[in-house]
Amino acid sequence: MKVLYIDTTTSYLYTGIVVDGKLIVEIKKEFGKDLSRQALSKISDMIKQAKLKPTDIDKIMVVNGPGSFTGIRVGVTIAKTFAYTLKKEVITLLSLEAMAISNKNEKVFKVPIIDARRGYIYGAIYNQENIPVLKPQYISLEALKSATNHLLEDFEYISNQEFTDLKVESYNPNIEKIVNTLISREGTNPHAVNPVYLKQTEAEEKQNTEII
Amino acid sequence: MKDIYILGIETSCDETSASIVKNGNEEIATVVLSQIDIHKDFGGVVPEIASRHHVKNITIVIEECLEKANMEINQIDGIAVTYGPGLVGSLLVGVEAAKTLAYANNIPLIPVNHMSGHIYANELEKPLEFPLIALVISGGHTELIYMKDHYNFEKIGGTLDDAVGECYDKVARIVNVPYPGGPTIDRWAYEGKDTYSLPLPLNDDSYNFSFSGLKSAVINLVHNEKQRGNEIRKKDLAASFQNTVVEIITKKTMRALKDYQVNHLIIAGGVAANKVLRERLMELCQKENISFSCPSIQHCTDNAAMIAASGYHAYLLGHRADLTLNPQSSLELANQKVVNKEED
Repeated sequence: MKVLYIDTTTSYLYTGIVVDGKLIVEIKKEFGKDLSRQALSKISDMIKQAKLKPTDIDKIMVVNGPGSFTGIRVGVTIAKTFAYTLKKEVITLLSLEAMAISNKNEKVFKVPIIDARRGYIYGAIYNQENIPVLKPQYISLEALKSATNHLLEDFEYISNQEFTDLKVESYNPNIEKIVNTLISREGTNPHAVNPVYLKQTEAEEKQNTEII
Repeated sequence: MKDIYILGIETSCDETSASIVKNGNEEIATVVLSQIDIHKDFGGVVPEIASRHHVKNITIVIEECLEKANMEINQIDGIAVTYGPGLVGSLLVGVEAAKTLAYANNIPLIPVNHMSGHIYANELEKPLEFPLIALVISGGHTELIYMKDHYNFEKIGGTLDDAVGECYDKVARIVNVPYPGGPTIDRWAYEGKDTYSLPLPLNDDSYNFSFSGLKSAVINLVHNEKQRGNEIRKKDLAASFQNTVVEIITKKTMRALKDYQVNHLIIAGGVAANKVLRERLMELCQKENISFSCPSIQHCTDNAAMIAASGYHAYLLGHRADLTLNPQSSLELANQKVVNKEED
């Protein structure tokens, strides 16, 4: 079983190939605004480096949000097109979930966060079994902070970004662990693989306020 | 010679489209999914919403197109994709999908300029004859292009401010026509009479256009009439506005044909669907013994068939993109050749 893992939901490209439960190759690199230009090119280099062809891949595991809207679309479009045209299965997961699974510390609760600007973040609280006790959402950092109050300080924030006045454990995806944890998750029809933005567009938000 | 099948992909604005064209002129199958009803509610295209719909629909549109053509992806010789100009987030979805299709199936990837696509929509009617002048008119463009040969674009004139389609939509808004207002103005103009006096914009010796002054003139006219307590005869205003636009466009186009000693005129772009403009140009060309070609109405608006048609000639010329192809919101048609030279 050869699994191609793709995450482009932040300014980083996290990609790897896991063969029969073992990671054989990976790329973890920040590309920032160049991510859309580089993502598929680097993924193809990596597949070649693993001495594989696109058709050798059995499953694609793609992170479909939340995060940068554009970034999400890059990974999701690559994954769904690849899977559609080569008739492969797709497993989707959330960026926050990947962050919780990768965390190797012994804290009881894990609080992955991604900056959503203007004091807001995409965040969730996961327990040790990586089950969300606060579901992934678009929330103000202040509100999330107060939600952590009853966690008896046995938790840590995880992010690949920096936040002022907030101690965060830096996120380093453990692709092998993520893939092995979620490998038996039910697959999605490639056409139905879609981004999870967790946030409406500003035009929709404005429209909704006007209706109210 | 072996038949060449090009799969075109177009997502530059609010239409998700895929098409297969044989030998650059025979449309095998086209699927266009328009988002117009979604954006209507917002009074214009909302880029983020457009991008979200593209990503949702892109593989479905491609699959439908292949099914309609009764073809498999491995029968395709090249994948042509619009990489600009347009909304960068929208373009991105088409570009990523095209790159992935090309990579996964080992098919050449062909970068296509959206405006070149509009020009090559004419090939789906009859072969282009050179040298020609192309009048490219759309929501974002108003250009006169001189073409000596395939993919040889020399811009001889363009708009200094608003594009003509943009001006139509703005005038529509002044008289409270909901988005997209251009086609309504065209219809009204057909019914109304040219009774309002509007200035002929940038009536000079250049091949350039300027429409912002005309837009202001319409705003002032509507304002003054209201001040006087006169009701606006919307259909007549539409007719007067359209006549002014058509007059200046035809005047400069015909002069360009004469100055460049060219006997072939083609029109391209969304505004090429405009009835009055088509009729007037046809009339004038007949009189001057100039051949005139315009795309069918469904090929004037954004579609992937024109991208595949343009992509066919790019394919023959050896234009290829690698997996780092990236969308570009502004992309000059005239620079196309220069860019390709640099890549060689």
